[in-house]
Amino acid sequence: MNNSEQLLRRLPNDIGGLPADAIDRTEHALEPWEKRCHALADVLDFHKIINTEEKRRGVEALGAEMIGKLTYYERWIATFANILFQKGILTPSDLARKMDEIEART
Amino acid sequence: MPDHHHDHTHDHPHAEISQTERPGYYEIMETAVRELLIEKRLIGANEIRRQIEVLDSRTPALGAKVVARAWVDPAFRSRLLANGRAACEELGLSFYDDTGLIVLENTDTVHNLIVCTLCSCYPRPVLGLPPDWYKLKPYRARAVSEPRAVLAEFGTIIPDDVQIRVSDSTAMVRFLVLPRRPEGTEDYTEEQLTDLVTRDAMIGVVPVTLAAERTAP
Repeated sequence: MNNSEQLLRRLPNDIGGLPADAIDRTEHALEPWEKRCHALADVLDFHKIINTEEKRRGVEALGAEMIGKLTYYERWIATFANILFQKGILTPSDLARKMDEIEART
Repeated sequence: MPDHHHDHTHDHPHAEISQTERPGYYEIMETAVRELLIEKRLIGANEIRRQIEVLDSRTPALGAKVVARAWVDPAFRSRLLANGRAACEELGLSFYDDTGLIVLENTDTVHNLIVCTLCSCYPRPVLGLPPDWYKLKPYRARAVSEPRAVLAEFGTIIPDDVQIRVSDSTAMVRFLVLPRRPEGTEDYTEEQLTDLVTRDAMIGVVPVTLAAERTAP
């Protein structure tokens, strides 16, 4: 038995039943950009561009390290970008250019 | 609770606080993705604004209305348990996505708890967005294997002769708990009952109690 087998048996999202810490019940109100990100997810779903299950699998495809280090909506927006690249809807250069443009104007 | 979070002495500059005016990397990415999709006419700018309004309009008060109606109207309760979504729509509560809703009734022999072990699926049209703890590992990991310990952390002790059923949500099927109507509410109006029902009771982590009353008597 090799420990790496566990990696195949359980993808990063598949945590049901694992031991874990006590529940921290602190709650935070969504940042405006987080709420926009949520609305974007819903609109992408309405237009059948990215559905909920594609989004979940896309988050999983970020891998355990990113899942651990990014916040919830950081994972979502990174996932949307990846899926839009995969579907040929956006290119990484489109996004990089647009991000530079936004950075310059803010 | 250990208070180690309060121990550090703030001898370092908090650059991230003084720079809150400037959007962070992921916020810029969100703006960029949204603007690119609007430029390509794949989505409309108004659609995002409208969906933010929809999200803001969804709160646990909607679910509470559904629960109180089920408590006072046995025929509605039967329809709700048979088809959660159709019964909610009867009350004018629209579903903005294509998810199904299964309503799980707590009784003196069964206590229901909902979770999404894989991510964060939640009955958003009737409860709004989930609390942070619902989306984080400790609840997702432990709710299915040690629900009694999880419930105890919320101060909820379920007698050993009451079965606990944990339902794991999916992208297409969401759950809502129909809590037990508290004793001593026989004379309450439907509106008074609505005020007793909390978000956490509809997730199944706490019962509905008279102490939880949201509005002054």
